[in-house]
Amino acid sequence: MDRGQQPDKGKVEDLTKEFIAESQEGLERMELCLTELEMRPDDGELVSEIFRAIHTIKGTTGFLGFSRLERLAHMGESLLGALRDGKLMVTTELISGLLQLMDGMRTILQLIESAGTEGEQSEEDDRELIAYLANLRAGCGECAMDKVRASQTRVPLDKLGAGSSTRSGQHEGQPEWPAVAAGSSTHDKTLRIDVEVLNRMMNHVGELVLTRNQILRCPPGSENFPELARRLDSVTAELRECVMHARMQPVGHLFSKFPRMVRDLAIACGRQVRIEFEGQETGLDKSMLEAVRDPLTHAVRNAIDHGIEPPEERVQAGKPAQGVVRLRAFHQSGSVVIEVIDDGAGISTELVMAKAIERGILTPEQAEAMTQREALQMIFVAGFSTAKQLTNISGRGMGMDVVRTNVEKVGGSVELVSSVGVGTTVRMRVPLTLAIVPALVVQSGGQGFALPQNSLVELVYVPWHEAETAVEHMGETQLYRLREGLLPLVWLDRLLGLGQSAGPVGSDFYIAVVESEGRRFGLVVDDLKAPEEIVVKPLSAELREIGVFSGATVLGNGALALILDVAATGEQAGVRQMAEAVKGVSTDRVQMGTALSEMESSMVIYESGKRRLVQDSHTEQMAMPLSAVERIESVLLSQIEYAGGRAVLQYRGELIPLEDKDDILRERSADDFSATATVLICLRPKAQGATRVGMVVRRVLDVSPGSLLAADAAACEQQLAMVKERVKTVHGDFAQWVDGPRTAAFREVA
Amino acid sequence: MTRAAERTADGGNTVSICSLRVGTGLFGIDTRQIREVLGTTTTHYVPLAPEYIAGVVPYRGEVLSAVSFRALLGLERCTGANCILVFDGEQNEERFGLIVDGVSGVIELQQDSLEANPSGLDARSMELFDGAYKLPSGLLVRLDPRKLRPARLAESGLFGRSNRERQGGPR
Repeated sequence: MDRGQQPDKGKVEDLTKEFIAESQEGLERMELCLTELEMRPDDGELVSEIFRAIHTIKGTTGFLGFSRLERLAHMGESLLGALRDGKLMVTTELISGLLQLMDGMRTILQLIESAGTEGEQSEEDDRELIAYLANLRAGCGECAMDKVRASQTRVPLDKLGAGSSTRSGQHEGQPEWPAVAAGSSTHDKTLRIDVEVLNRMMNHVGELVLTRNQILRCPPGSENFPELARRLDSVTAELRECVMHARMQPVGHLFSKFPRMVRDLAIACGRQVRIEFEGQETGLDKSMLEAVRDPLTHAVRNAIDHGIEPPEERVQAGKPAQGVVRLRAFHQSGSVVIEVIDDGAGISTELVMAKAIERGILTPEQAEAMTQREALQMIFVAGFSTAKQLTNISGRGMGMDVVRTNVEKVGGSVELVSSVGVGTTVRMRVPLTLAIVPALVVQSGGQGFALPQNSLVELVYVPWHEAETAVEHMGETQLYRLREGLLPLVWLDRLLGLGQSAGPVGSDFYIAVVESEGRRFGLVVDDLKAPEEIVVKPLSAELREIGVFSGATVLGNGALALILDVAATGEQAGVRQMAEAVKGVSTDRVQMGTALSEMESSMVIYESGKRRLVQDSHTEQMAMPLSAVERIESVLLSQIEYAGGRAVLQYRGELIPLEDKDDILRERSADDFSATATVLICLRPKAQGATRVGMVVRRVLDVSPGSLLAADAAACEQQLAMVKERVKTVHGDFAQWVDGPRTAAFREVA
Repeated sequence: MTRAAERTADGGNTVSICSLRVGTGLFGIDTRQIREVLGTTTTHYVPLAPEYIAGVVPYRGEVLSAVSFRALLGLERCTGANCILVFDGEQNEERFGLIVDGVSGVIELQQDSLEANPSGLDARSMELFDGAYKLPSGLLVRLDPRKLRPARLAESGLFGRSNRERQGGPR
């Protein structure tokens, strides 16, 4: 926001700026104390503190000649004086009145900040507010107060807001709670630093200058040089640490505005809510703090508006009438976790899913197959939450996708956990700082690109002799079999239009497995360079528009490198988001490009060796619908007989043929005749009835629920099933055993 | 006609112009509008960028987009030595660089030798040029950095298609 200040005012300007920052801090502190006072009305110490704060503001305003502010401050002071002397009792009305006074003062401060003056035209409004407060001081009866409040207090506030048009315009989105988003630009731009830290910084800078001087004087090829380089390195590291430290702010700064907001919201929504804090001292980078401010506000607002039930309902449910919203912050493995925990009604997954189906985000089959945890994450899906009516039904979802987008923009993630009747937790995880990011430098198409480490899952090296077999095709999509999963591949150079290499012909390459915003894919690059801590530099608007790069950086060797935006890269390449939206949540399902037709059923997972693959050791996991398997038998090889070159087994008075596609029997018998083979006794569907058949497999691994994928049948002859987020090949003959009639329909389509 | 012209009017009748070579043409920019001239610097190519952006260059802790004047004129990209001029953006605009083949030097020119763009100029040239000085040896086409801002070039839609069109959509 522009601060339209005249440059000629110089000193006074500086003083005013300082005053605004100080007063805003003071107001914030007072607000905090006031909300606390409401809970502990007998705390004299609190009253004194508020009194001192407002007294300071009053003194400065008089000195700087802001008469409007002074009058308001004076009113507040006299009210608090009466309170201190015990002439007034703490009531909700009094606290509300004082809080409104704070709002009034803040509005004037914002006006001063943006326009340089406190504005004269709305003095009338001040008078009304003051009159109201004077009524309060006089302690006039309840009814009189109600009348005054109804007719006046809201009015002056609205008018005050209108006085600073730029400000009020910014918060038009939330007309019900004008005080909620009282941000301030000066406050956002200034920072209090310990003089000690500043001194240390200055020392380091001095050291840096000395080192530079020495380096400049150092003759080329001097023996001294490595020593100087080392010194430069250590000074830089220390200076950086120092500056980072200075930028670190306790999360408590962010939390401090919530008591007031919670109070106002609770009153507006007719709830009884207490707010609790934990880990306020947790340090977070200043820019990061600003970045999570809005998402956090949103989450807290949701918690009160939709999470916490009205008092009567709570009592009926056997909970205390007063709900609790807890804000909790702590460090965890290089990032800061901030949680908003409420003990409200929780989110009913049935309603969420019903809504998702209604809105066409999910098919009923998909919804059926979803776990509760997955269903909850639907709330973050864009478009899902924008529907207003949803807030009343599902209990939540107002702009949760915005929360997620904002947090992910700064490299964080959001997760939601809820259980009906117990409460909801929104967990945000953000990195400590934005400015310096650990990244891996990769090479593609002859250019270096920086890949942020936080989206990097793992790296796979594909040697040249495997390059051709490693990549599998399914329709247009190229896939890599990573352990048991199928990973869509994206060739970075082709995506960027650099060097049109026809494919992985004869040369080795690397796959960087990346995951961001629910997209997981393999980025194929030519080479990996060193991991580096990179300093992020913004790109110009035209280049940002490309959408694939989040910035640029200067590498250690002085060369520039573009920083890849992994999520956007995936999007451009057409990699679809996984059904569940949140990273770190167990992913039970991957969308395979085409729509899923899912039928959950139990699958027997077994291992079979495929001789046709290059390596003998390569085994494949297959799935067999449990409904088709009668028994799993361990059969001695000596029991197996051969008739007409075909292996048969006498099984319960029946002769059943054995199917041994992988030559496991021959392989085993070569080792030891007394060895055993695992045989799945299956029912093979036939035109009339079914016949039994024995399938020889290497070993049975697991039985677990899975679902058949209606994967692009043209591209892939085999039936694929999804079991525990892994793709399994279903034995072709038995695919139709996966559930009854629906499967038949599926077969027709296929 | 432009603010630059007005400013020179009250400062005397001469104006110092930094003359540039691009292709076979001679161009000039008011020296007061140039922040710095960087010698031969390698630009870092940005894939999928609009054609007129040759890449990015590091400059004083920032990364600037560099507009290729050759591309604007529809000439082949030149791989040889080049010069980058750095301009400050207007108010909220970002700084940017302009890549030219070379800088010849600063010349003092009579303000009244400036001739406005002739009406027969094609749309692209109309957009880029800002009149011409009549030198004995030929014309020196004046450029206005404000017209060469990447954002402005993108708006005009005359120079280079957007990356998506060129790529034929995301694959």
